[in-house]
Amino acid sequence: MSWFVKFWGTRGSIPAPGPQSRKYGGNTSCVEIHADPALLICDGGTGLRELGLDLQKRKKGEPIRGHFLFSHTHWDHIQGFPFFVPAYDPRNEFLVYGTSRGDRRTFDLLSGQMRSDYFPVEFSELRSRIAPADLGDGHAHVEGFSICCVELKHPGRCFAFSFEREGKKVIYATDNELDLILADPEQPRREPAVLRTFPEPLVEFMRGADLLIGDGQYTDDEYPTHVGWGHSRASTLVDLAMAAECRQLAVFHHDPMQSDRDVDRKIDLCRERAARHGGKVVVFGAREGLELRIG
Amino acid sequence: MAASPDQEDPDISGGTREISVNITPFASTPTPFSLRLMQGPGSPRTFLLAREEVILGRSSEADIQVDSTELSRKHLALRREHGQYTVFDLGSRNGVYLNGVKIHSAVLHEGDNLQLGSVVLVFHEGRG
Repeated sequence: MSWFVKFWGTRGSIPAPGPQSRKYGGNTSCVEIHADPALLICDGGTGLRELGLDLQKRKKGEPIRGHFLFSHTHWDHIQGFPFFVPAYDPRNEFLVYGTSRGDRRTFDLLSGQMRSDYFPVEFSELRSRIAPADLGDGHAHVEGFSICCVELKHPGRCFAFSFEREGKKVIYATDNELDLILADPEQPRREPAVLRTFPEPLVEFMRGADLLIGDGQYTDDEYPTHVGWGHSRASTLVDLAMAAECRQLAVFHHDPMQSDRDVDRKIDLCRERAARHGGKVVVFGAREGLELRIG
Repeated sequence: MAASPDQEDPDISGGTREISVNITPFASTPTPFSLRLMQGPGSPRTFLLAREEVILGRSSEADIQVDSTELSRKHLALRREHGQYTVFDLGSRNGVYLNGVKIHSAVLHEGDNLQLGSVVLVFHEGRG
């Protein structure tokens, strides 16, 4: 059974629509992983709205069952949920996963954003069945996928997920300030060309991934003024992908100030860095509407 | 020097007045979407994309035929929706690479590079 990854929103922090972002897109984080009929949704940024519309078209009236895995509940990762049309259909069912046994934090915050102070429709008025679920001790099997999670470096807690199926592996690891967890945090400033070293558990989590979707919000020039904001410089993400021997790297969570041309340049620099160090990883900028066959 | 309120230009103080202007309609020439074959049999050549769906492959039944053994008979489809073309790999043997990345489908933008084996095409957006 083939499985696929599709990008519905790749922008970081806040939607950035307009002519300057047509290629990579202006919608915030939303990635679909599917192997018919299994449907997994990573984050519900504004890209989720379009995924919902597409699901309605694709499923042609058939009931939709989906599994939501939210990296965290910052606005740009949950804002699309109230506009996810399939949530309003009583034939549909969605599970919202916490990262540990009994963890309902994400489910509760997701429903909280639909209080009447914020949105005209209450969560309780959604007609689909939406229920909390969890990854137990950080690992679960969901419709043929083996899913694990690990905590990332981001203000207010954030999680990466790994998805394995039929010998293939995809990592979704957005909102992660890699530069703050380096073995030597001063090294990038002192020796920018030298490969950076990461905590071994993180490298092992990502080891051998066929696709790593990672936070590469900033260029080396942009990062120094954004230290502590919870996001990585793309060059550090490249080093992580090489350390973990990932086959492909999708640089994700593009800064809202970056135009398509800026992202192109950021990706060129990433590719140059990988090539300079003999890395075989295929680096590309995650962009809306791009779908990869994984297995 | 700017006129003060009590020194208004007599030509504009009296409100609107008729003027005669020759208006030439703005001529916007529509440009069709296209695929430029840069490398491969028959290159260089430009294919205009005029239909909602265009099939490219080795077969004579394909809308765009490129006679390369590296292409499957029906290698890829280009489908237009909301003014954009999306490329779909039709299960080809050698795959579809967009700017160096093997893809299943993707919305195309100006200058995107499609590689099918050693055949290289560049997508150009139309307007109008």
